[in-house]
Amino acid sequence: MVWNQNASLVRPQNLYLVVCISFVFGVSSAFPDLSDKFCTFKVTFRNFRLILSWELKNHSVVPDRYTLRYTVISRPDQVKIVEHCSNTTASSCDLTDVWEVLPETYSIRVDGFRGNTTLVQCSSYLFLVTHMSLEPPEFDIVGFTDHINVLVKFPPVIPKILGGGVLKFYLSLIIEEQSGNIVKKHNPELNENITGNFTYVIDKLLPNTNYCVSVYFKPRNLGAVHRSPVKCILLQPGQETESSESAKIGGIITMFVIAAVIVITIIILKRVGYICLRNHFPKVLNFYNFSTWVFPEMPPLETVAFVEVIHVNRKKKVWDYNYDDESDSNDDTATPQTNAGGYTMHGLVGRLLGPASASSATPEDCMEPDAEEPDPSEPDTDIDTEPLVPSGPSPGQSEGTSGAYECRGKQLQDPITEEDSWSTGGSGDKITFNVNLSSVFMRVLDDDLEVPPGLPSFPEETYNLQESHRLETSSLAANGEGTQPLFPTPSAECQWPEDVLSDESDSSESDVDIGDGYIMR
Amino acid sequence: MSTKPDVIRKCLWPACLVGLLITGVLSLDCNLLHFHLRKVTWQNLRLLSSMSNSFPVECLREIKAFELPQEILSHTQPVKRYIVEAFYEMSIQAFNIFSQYTFKSTWENDYLKQIQIGLDQQLQYAERCLEEEEKEEDDSKEMEEDGINHSEATVPQLSNLELRRYFNRIDNFLKEKKYSHCAWEIIRVEIRRCFYYYFQKFAPLLRKK
Repeated sequence: MVWNQNASLVRPQNLYLVVCISFVFGVSSAFPDLSDKFCTFKVTFRNFRLILSWELKNHSVVPDRYTLRYTVISRPDQVKIVEHCSNTTASSCDLTDVWEVLPETYSIRVDGFRGNTTLVQCSSYLFLVTHMSLEPPEFDIVGFTDHINVLVKFPPVIPKILGGGVLKFYLSLIIEEQSGNIVKKHNPELNENITGNFTYVIDKLLPNTNYCVSVYFKPRNLGAVHRSPVKCILLQPGQETESSESAKIGGIITMFVIAAVIVITIIILKRVGYICLRNHFPKVLNFYNFSTWVFPEMPPLETVAFVEVIHVNRKKKVWDYNYDDESDSNDDTATPQTNAGGYTMHGLVGRLLGPASASSATPEDCMEPDAEEPDPSEPDTDIDTEPLVPSGPSPGQSEGTSGAYECRGKQLQDPITEEDSWSTGGSGDKITFNVNLSSVFMRVLDDDLEVPPGLPSFPEETYNLQESHRLETSSLAANGEGTQPLFPTPSAECQWPEDVLSDESDSSESDVDIGDGYIMR
Repeated sequence: MSTKPDVIRKCLWPACLVGLLITGVLSLDCNLLHFHLRKVTWQNLRLLSSMSNSFPVECLREIKAFELPQEILSHTQPVKRYIVEAFYEMSIQAFNIFSQYTFKSTWENDYLKQIQIGLDQQLQYAERCLEEEEKEEDDSKEMEEDGINHSEATVPQLSNLELRRYFNRIDNFLKEKKYSHCAWEIIRVEIRRCFYYYFQKFAPLLRKK
């Protein structure tokens, strides 16, 4: 310091001058200026009050009274005494209403007395802008569910020394929020004319979490920062959260109770027998073979041979007592017709086996039909109830009836086995063709139609009498109704009476009155 | 294995220089006048306060009121230009005064040099900002009438004269006291007071702008 270095040379002369000048001006300055050695001064803003405090370095010297004087360096005024800090026992003085200009430099002097003796004189000069220490303001915190209200206490009237925008531009209010190792700083904007308490809300906080809050001023001159004591609070879950959680829990419990009651009721009713629950799900709900369900296996390609059995209506011949040649009978026979599909259409003339027909057609090896054979006088019903291809016991059928048809099949075996294709030829009274009955769709045409529509072309197959018979018996059992007894299933043992077809075609024509249905396989 | 620290060491200095350069460039931006003014003011206050930690009691009787101008700004537009002009006037006057400081203490010389360097930088900054302001005004002068321009030109002169008179009083005090120690102490305190007083006045105006 400059004046310290030169003080050793100038001090005796200046001391004399100071003493003389002080007597002239009436300034009581009995002791040299050695205040730096005895006192330490401190200027702080405590609760927005400008407090000047001092502390003696030599603790053995304890004055009982102090008097504070000051001078504003920029004003050539006399030294001023602070009246409320004259002969005070406190080692501090509130100068809020005394010093009103911040950028001033104040020269201060504190005289310590014991009785009438001046024990010590402390002098210093203070430039408040750089020497002022800002203590943190008082504050309170109120915790809620997810936010904290910080109440910073400001005086109702801001001191003049902090007016003029000093508080806003010189000081910066910082509110620190700490949770664990996470520290967040909030810098609320202060109004120039801020008065009264200031409330700041720290929001977006986590419930049921401990938060600590600290408040302090941060001077823009990069001076020392004095933090306030930390105040901590644990945020509790609010009533709204608790009620919503309890409502959710209650709702879940209620749903479980209702579901349990329903299940128990169903079980009881099932055991009692009041309701019957299916044990087996329908096939559509069987997800056992899910892949199969999603990607259904295509049925094996099987050759489908469509056979259209054309019913040729023949007029009932009325014997006109003409004994001419019987060449007319040839006209009535179904002549094979070819269509665009390559099939040779043969008209099958089916007849029902009545008692007379049965006796004439049945060979020695065949079984006799029972008395339940259909009556020829009722061709419609007989046809419906006596399928041409027996497939085992079915409603409306009897074993005897099936046996009669079986017999028919037997009679046909020999000529059929020798041929493996449609035979277009043959005698006029004989029609033989091979059909795979396992894939035959037969349709009985109406009386109006003599020529069926074009048939699809399918490869001809060899008709296996034995196998087809077994298949027929099994497949037609379920299709008892609507099946058309047009196509007999010959067995291996019996042979179709060749004469039966041609001779009895007349009677069979009128007897055949079948509907429009297909025999589906 | 030691390549990383070497690389860091090599890059550290250039990075620091670049950072300082950027900071310096940004701080010299006239649009950041508020930040520059605050930075310069606090820097000067620290330097002037560090030169002397106490004020000699014997110098109290040599105190003089230099009558710092309370109102040096015109309330007409533009405010920024007047602030820059006032800032420029203060800087150049203080630089001239401290150039006459002849105290030969080493400790004082170091601080004095720092103050002079800082004031020189302030002058350069203020000059550059004034040139920019003049260019903007030249562009707008063609759109305005001559009478309005003439009236605007007189206001800055009045405000700068007050400052010049103020610093003339300070200079005269030094000469009168023959550049004594107490005179320099009193001048140091007065200039420090001047810098902070106008910063306290300019800062709210710049923030509002």
